[in-house]
Amino acid sequence: MRGYKGINIRRIKISQGILSILPVIIILIIIRFYPIMMAIYRSFTNWNGLFRSDWIGLENYVDIFTNSPFWILLRNSLVLLTTVPLQLMIGIFVAVILYEEVKGWRFFRTIIYLPQIIAAVTIGYLFRVAFSLDGPVNLVMRGMGLDFIAIEWLGNTATALGVLVFCLTWFSIGWQAIVILGGMSKISPDVFEAAKMDGANYWQRTFYVVIPIISRTIEYAVIMSMVWTLTSIFAFIYTITAGGPGYETSTIDYMIYTKFYQAGAPYGFASALAVILLIIILSITVVELRITNKASEWE
Amino acid sequence: MLSKFNQKLTNLVIFLALLGLSISNLYPLFYMFMNSIKSRTDYYVNPFSVWNLKLTWDNYLTMISQFKIFNLFKNSFLISFFSIILLLCFGIVASYAFAKLNFKGKNIIYLLVISTMFIPVQATIIPLYVFFSRIHLVNTFWSVVFIYVGMFIPEVILLMTSGFRGIPDELIEAAKLDGAGYFDVLRYVIVPMGRPAIILCIIFYFIVTWNDLFTPMILLQSMDKRTVMVALAALLSRYSGDPTFQFAGLVLASIPAILVYAFFQHYIIKGISLGATK
Repeated sequence: MRGYKGINIRRIKISQGILSILPVIIILIIIRFYPIMMAIYRSFTNWNGLFRSDWIGLENYVDIFTNSPFWILLRNSLVLLTTVPLQLMIGIFVAVILYEEVKGWRFFRTIIYLPQIIAAVTIGYLFRVAFSLDGPVNLVMRGMGLDFIAIEWLGNTATALGVLVFCLTWFSIGWQAIVILGGMSKISPDVFEAAKMDGANYWQRTFYVVIPIISRTIEYAVIMSMVWTLTSIFAFIYTITAGGPGYETSTIDYMIYTKFYQAGAPYGFASALAVILLIIILSITVVELRITNKASEWE
Repeated sequence: MLSKFNQKLTNLVIFLALLGLSISNLYPLFYMFMNSIKSRTDYYVNPFSVWNLKLTWDNYLTMISQFKIFNLFKNSFLISFFSIILLLCFGIVASYAFAKLNFKGKNIIYLLVISTMFIPVQATIIPLYVFFSRIHLVNTFWSVVFIYVGMFIPEVILLMTSGFRGIPDELIEAAKLDGAGYFDVLRYVIVPMGRPAIILCIIFYFIVTWNDLFTPMILLQSMDKRTVMVALAALLSRYSGDPTFQFAGLVLASIPAILVYAFFQHYIIKGISLGATK
């Protein structure tokens, strides 16, 4: 009798676990898994979202690599990825300062994270206004007699990308600093104090004490911000440059968006772009994990 | 002596650097607000001016009466609200299972669920749009809500599972001995004890869903269904001749998220660092 009851309880437990995660599994299959499979399949067709969906093999991919602004998009993504080391360096700098609890550190911590709370639409618009031809930046430049710098920032590829890099870096410093600060809570205060007592200056403390201990946190921050840069800056690009001039400041995800509205609905082509984006992100994650695993083996 | 001087100098430089960074974060907001209550003429004369201005709330009144910004607020709010409710319902139950129950393949399933975090929404949006239009969900809040739930549930589970792991098993066992069923355990043990993680999810995903542009822009095209961010993005490209009016809209749209941050920043900052150490 007792044995029977025991088995029964365990069985209920097993089904409880499965039942608890079942809704999540179903949602993920419908909202994430099914569309990805669909995108992969449709990328080999000339799908237009309706009934036209003929198998055309690799045509979309060939088209992307030979006959589209793809390489410009890739260049832009690479340029924008340079914000990651920038953010990270400034973020570590700020985090170490906050960790030492300088005067008013709570206030600074609150303010530094503030851009993350403001909508990308708002920030993007402020940057567009700031760097417009008669905007605040150029007014200041002219005021200082630096007329030759007062150019049309968003009209040239190089400077427009520069504005985007500046904007994304500025936007992300707070996130990096708070994440690094969280990782630093693992450092025992004794170690830090000991390094201070031994006369290690700010840079030595940062490089020899902080960075080795928080390498896992840095890895997390790098992966997250790289993926973020490749997938989540749509609103910034939309409001600051709208991807222009031409495709000069677009990224892959931005082009998927423009294809969505394009006449003729080239959804098969857009699906191929989506697959390429997915492959890039997966390989970044894998490579990044490999590198950090190697690095921690050397330690 | 010299080293003491150096120390002081370093401290000063550090303080100034922090101050500069903080000003660069605050000034744009001040600039936006200041210019939203200026007349257009004053703005074009000098956008930096703060003194001797004729201040006016006209832009705000137009935003409210003609642009109907509170209708847009309602749309955004409903989407955030239902997304959060669903994220919590599914998230709490699943995280409880991942943190406290044993079943076959738990770790593998957990990893698979978390790894869907890396699928960009842009890669799924076209098939989803076509799918939703077949079942007549395009231009309804539910389409956006469902996508948000699918997008954010892995992060929610990540946060909550690590929060729930800290709840002592003894408490759950004691509750079960007292005859508590599955939902009693959730209600009387998991939810009260896991409150920090739950509050963090509410706040964090309110801000994220409130500020999002991409998903609602694709799925909500009819004028009366648009969220505040979609409407503002359209406004910014249309009325390019009237920046003070646009600033007013942006200020209004920023207020809810800033208020939430002002009251709950402690949770947010704790939560961001929590996610990082895992």
